Amino acid sequence: MTLNRPARPRALISLVPMIDVMLILLVFFMVTSTYLNLDMIPAVKPSKGAAGTPQSPAGTLMIRLGAAGVPVLRGTALDAETLQAALAAAVAGEPLTQVVILPSGAAQTQALITVMDSAALAGVTRLRVLRLEAAP
Amino acid sequence: MKLNRPARNPHSETIIALIDVVFFLLVFFMLIGRMDATAPFDVRPATAVTGRDMPSGGVTLAISAQGALALDGEAIARSALSPALSALLADDPELRLRINAHRAAELRKVLPLVAEGEALGFREVVLVVTPETDG
Repeated sequence: MTLNRPARPRALISLVPMIDVMLILLVFFMVTSTYLNLDMIPAVKPSKGAAGTPQSPAGTLMIRLGAAGVPVLRGTALDAETLQAALAAAVAGEPLTQVVILPSGAAQTQALITVMDSAALAGVTRLRVLRLEAAP
Repeated sequence: MKLNRPARNPHSETIIALIDVVFFLLVFFMLIGRMDATAPFDVRPATAVTGRDMPSGGVTLAISAQGALALDGEAIARSALSPALSALLADDPELRLRINAHRAAELRKVLPLVAEGEALGFREVVLVVTPETDG
């Protein structure tokens, strides 16, 4: 005697596990992501090798940054706008002007970034930040 | 004559719409989110309008307002920082060092770390800033 089993209907792929996985991924990305809008300012320029043509500095301006965060240029305390205007005038006269920032160790990071911001807005391309080290 | 149509599955269309929405949200959060490790303390980077877009990748050194350090989200002592950075640099010589200093951190606690990163051989050391004024 031969038994004929009824053919089982072809099982559909269940969508429920896929939805589960997607929901888990969704919650994961929602929880672990941060949504800060971050930019960067190079502190150390990438070295381009020693074969570059050296350019003699046409002039150097030194900005002292006091502990209170006030930039001082040629003995005069300036605000950000005035500093930017002074630097822009210097760069307009000599595009290769080098700007050197000597910050106080007690100044806040925001003060240094603000001065670097002003220099970049003024068109300064040669900018260095000095750091005094205590003598051993 | 009476025709019996097979009954449709009433849930199939609803589930597909749900999948569409969930998939859309998933892609949305994947695109706009950053997967950076967060520091164990509050870090609000300085604001700047001339910052450039920061590509992903690199190692992040966070500095709190009081000078506490965290390397890629984990607190680290000052004495252990240099060996840790050297080990990371040995694995990837092209590694970028991102210094995410709190805007109120004193420069005497930030600039030596920039110099140390440069001395260790990092070819690119960047300061993390934000264009948002109220961040």
